[in-house]
Amino acid sequence: MKVNLMHGAGGEVMGELLATITNLKHNNAGGIGLESLDDGAVIPLNGQNIVFTTDSHVVSPIFFPGGDIGRIAVCGTVNDLAVMGGRPIALSCGMIIPEGFDVADLERIVASMDEALGECGANLVTGDTKVLERSALDGIVINTAGIGVAETVVRDNGLIVGDTIITSGTLGDHGIAIMAHREGFDFGGQIRSDVSPLWTLIEDALAAGDIHAMKDPTRGGFANAINEMAHKSGTGIVIEEEHLPIRKNVRSAAGMLGIDPLEVANEGKVLMGVAPGDAEAVLAALRSHPYGRDAAIIGTVVEGKSVVMRTAIGGERFIEPPVGDPVPRVC
Amino acid sequence: MRTRGTIIIRGIVQGVGFRPFVYAKAHEYGMRGTVKNLGSEVEIAAWGDRFREFLDAVSHGTPLSRIDSVDVFDLAGEPPDSFTILESGTGSRSGFIPADVATCDACLADITTPGSRYEGYWATSCVNCGPRYSIITAIPYDRERTSMDVFPMCSPCEREYTDPACRRHHAQTIACSICGPHLALLNPGGTPVPCADPIRDAAALLDAGKILAIRGIGGFHIACIEESAAELKRRLGRTEQPLAVMATLGVTERIADVSEEERAQLTSRERPIVVLRKRDPESHASISNLHTIGVMLPYTGLHHLLFAALARPLLIMTSANMPGYPMITDLAQASGRLAGQVDYILTHNRPIVNRCDDSVVRDGYIIRLSRGFAPRRAAIDLGPRGILGVGPELNANITIYQNGFAVTSPHVGNVRNPPTLAYLQETVENIGEIIGARYDTIVHDLHPRFLSTRYARELAEATGAQLLAVQHHRAHIAAATREECIGIAIDGVGYGDDGTIWGGEIFAGRVPDYDRVAHLEVVPMPGGDLATRFPERMLYGIMPTEEIRDLLASRGWPELELGVLEKQVEKRFNVADTSSTGRLLDAASALLGLCRERTYDGEPAVKLESAAYRGRAAAWDLAFTGRDGREVFSTRSLLAEAYRRMQAGERVVDIAASVQYNLARGVAAMAVRAAEERGIGRVALSGGVAYNHAIREAIRQEILAAGLEYVINPDYPLGDGCISYGQVVCGGSLGE
Ligand SMILES: [Fe+3]
Ligand SMILES: [Mg+2]
Ligand SMILES: [Zn+2]
Ligand SMILES: [Zn+2]
Repeated sequence: MKVNLMHGAGGEVMGELLATITNLKHNNAGGIGLESLDDGAVIPLNGQNIVFTTDSHVVSPIFFPGGDIGRIAVCGTVNDLAVMGGRPIALSCGMIIPEGFDVADLERIVASMDEALGECGANLVTGDTKVLERSALDGIVINTAGIGVAETVVRDNGLIVGDTIITSGTLGDHGIAIMAHREGFDFGGQIRSDVSPLWTLIEDALAAGDIHAMKDPTRGGFANAINEMAHKSGTGIVIEEEHLPIRKNVRSAAGMLGIDPLEVANEGKVLMGVAPGDAEAVLAALRSHPYGRDAAIIGTVVEGKSVVMRTAIGGERFIEPPVGDPVPRVC
Repeated sequence: MRTRGTIIIRGIVQGVGFRPFVYAKAHEYGMRGTVKNLGSEVEIAAWGDRFREFLDAVSHGTPLSRIDSVDVFDLAGEPPDSFTILESGTGSRSGFIPADVATCDACLADITTPGSRYEGYWATSCVNCGPRYSIITAIPYDRERTSMDVFPMCSPCEREYTDPACRRHHAQTIACSICGPHLALLNPGGTPVPCADPIRDAAALLDAGKILAIRGIGGFHIACIEESAAELKRRLGRTEQPLAVMATLGVTERIADVSEEERAQLTSRERPIVVLRKRDPESHASISNLHTIGVMLPYTGLHHLLFAALARPLLIMTSANMPGYPMITDLAQASGRLAGQVDYILTHNRPIVNRCDDSVVRDGYIIRLSRGFAPRRAAIDLGPRGILGVGPELNANITIYQNGFAVTSPHVGNVRNPPTLAYLQETVENIGEIIGARYDTIVHDLHPRFLSTRYARELAEATGAQLLAVQHHRAHIAAATREECIGIAIDGVGYGDDGTIWGGEIFAGRVPDYDRVAHLEVVPMPGGDLATRFPERMLYGIMPTEEIRDLLASRGWPELELGVLEKQVEKRFNVADTSSTGRLLDAASALLGLCRERTYDGEPAVKLESAAYRGRAAAWDLAFTGRDGREVFSTRSLLAEAYRRMQAGERVVDIAASVQYNLARGVAAMAVRAAEERGIGRVALSGGVAYNHAIREAIRQEILAAGLEYVINPDYPLGDGCISYGQVVCGGSLGE
């Protein structure tokens, strides 16, 4: 079998590739390791929980409404630390740059990284740079790794039946913004990416109540993340369609293209399973933060193994992990 | 000369009055002995001089029975003094119980005869009629294994039940107004409405224009008179969808042209909804805005009594469900879910064990295989292994094969949501349990995203059964014939071998090896399923021209949205590829301005058909190309021609007729060429588009004109209700 693009698109097909790539015996440094496929690893060290994660970024276009590849490179790693409960401390950065890349663009990218670091109090402390021939690479690749420290580690598999599901804000913004910008769609108004570092938001939420599970709905979107949380926790989840926050322009653009906004990436959102008694307090904490103004209670953890959405018209449907391309099924 | 013997009769011998029938024959021929029900066989021990005649007589069975085999064995011992019916034993479960049956004439006479014990009793039935499948929990079919269990017989009922001379001898559904289930008229919330006669009051409310939920045999209907049709559709949010009606035969014949065959179907004991051509295509538009109307005759005592009390000539009777969800069967659900839709509920207290929708038939072909027809049992030899076919996703049912018989369930519905998936599972479990099924092989559709596929995987994992995927349209052809053939599958959407969406396919071969030899042109579906909902997207996908852009703009498409559509097609962003016949018909319907949004299954195509019914077809020049060694019929050329004629001012109805006719010619031409090339003399047809009368007939004529044999299987739906059966047929050959 050869690797194809579907293998990188998230969802079930990517799972097959991951099984190969993660086939390591040496995969756990004592806490949470690669085998968990969580947002990051946890290494207990001298009574502290060190959280460690890495992410490579190849977004096209590199500049888009609401952000750029530099901001994503920082936020992707910071958020993976944050959703483990980790305060981001330090990041590394590896850049692979194609020959001919504009230095002015590099300057913009680095400035943007610096700004994102400042927002969450992290520092980029080490790096590596390679320049490749034009023919070897058609865009810049930025890899970041990061370490953080978690007082309480929060997994993505900790949902308990009865928990309240909260999203920190609107869904689908980043994915639709990138699509619109890359393909040149005119939706009549600009759709902006939500790319943001979430540590301070999550810090506030952790202080407000008992959070049993967290995940950032990046690749594969909400649909992928919520299914992973349910699957790993061994629970079902019921989502109320009417409570899902989706921006009007995102909904309308997705509607025109036949795309489900729940299946596209977010870069500044977190999904949480919260002890029901603390849900309102956590919600209030999220809403009082600039990145959590649109936070909403969207569902409940139930017995079972599926993620089911109660639709606005009184029906029910499964939310399934997305596959790469649309596969029509209406006869 | 044999004067004694044990007779074993296998087949559908339960719930069909078989033992009383044997008893009566024993008396007629002076036999002594016993008869016993053993699940799906009856065991008769008989002594007497006229054994031969007796054997002949019982071998014919009763009207509702199906006999697979009759075997005679030697019998030792002394005869008893008389002939008696013994308690049921458990035995083989190779046969099956019959489906629900419309109230018979004798029972109807009982209901309407003044002074009769059954006068005015809504649930009157006998060995020849009444509910069966919908009330059975297990076999052998006896009262304690049905939902009649909770209604102990009163002594007059008991006397008839035990009287060998009575039509209700061992009639498990026997009941009367004293001991049987009774009716109640309720508010939508479920509280009783004070009334002396629920049926009379319900009829008065209906006549006054109220909308009622009425509990029937296999689920709830929503009923109202014609004058309330618009209001009902508004409440259901289904303003375009045609609804079925219930009427007497006399009224039906005033509304519609009824052929001999259609009259036979209407009055058959299955009592399906029959889709008829209206006498005046424009009439009864509030019920159906098509040239057709679906009609069924009253089929329960309740219906007959309701019609006797009703002043209006007909009732709209539609299944009580949300579109795509299972029909409501219990009162709690009805009072919860139908609160905003109905004004009253007419219910009864006989539990519905197995849900069963009304069957639908058109031109003699089954559109929905359900009440009366299903569970359908077909003798077919697929070997010793047990096989389950879980069906496709839309209009699904399931088929179980074991020991020489394939049993197909009633219509399950659109397996796209948790309740319908649960219903699918329940159907597999219930029918599997009733016939004692075990699966060596589980067959599912090739579509990776179908919920039925997921279910099949889970079930195979849990049971260790072999898992097989069968391409949708190959299952269609396998359901049509097992012989070598050219197979035409004209359909909506099916996942193809190459990951594109098929639906206008010509195959050659024999089950399960069908080569795809020709197909309709592969065209884009902008936005995937979005193009199914909005057929104008399909149109623009096929003809991405300035003219079509202008046409859409003139119909009010916002410039912004047109720009997005244009770019989407140009960049092939979120675009699927399809050779579907249904989508081509959708596009034609959109081009002609007949349908802009699909609000129910098949709407654009049936509206095109209704328009075409009023028009005259002409033969156009057809264009064929090739792709990967397969012949391809150019649907782009077909639509372009339709557009040219539209611009030239030709009548829409004539263009509609011509699009259908030339599509049929194109499909048939490819099939005929494939038949000639391969030396195959038989052409089989399947797929939902084959319900279209004009298209089906045109294909048939082209095939016959080429001197080829034309095969269609009228025992199963032409649409996706045949898929589970076709899957099982393929599974029988693939899984060895
Ligand atoms: Fe089909
Ligand atoms: Mg992550
Ligand atoms: Zn009867
Ligand atoms: Zn009685």
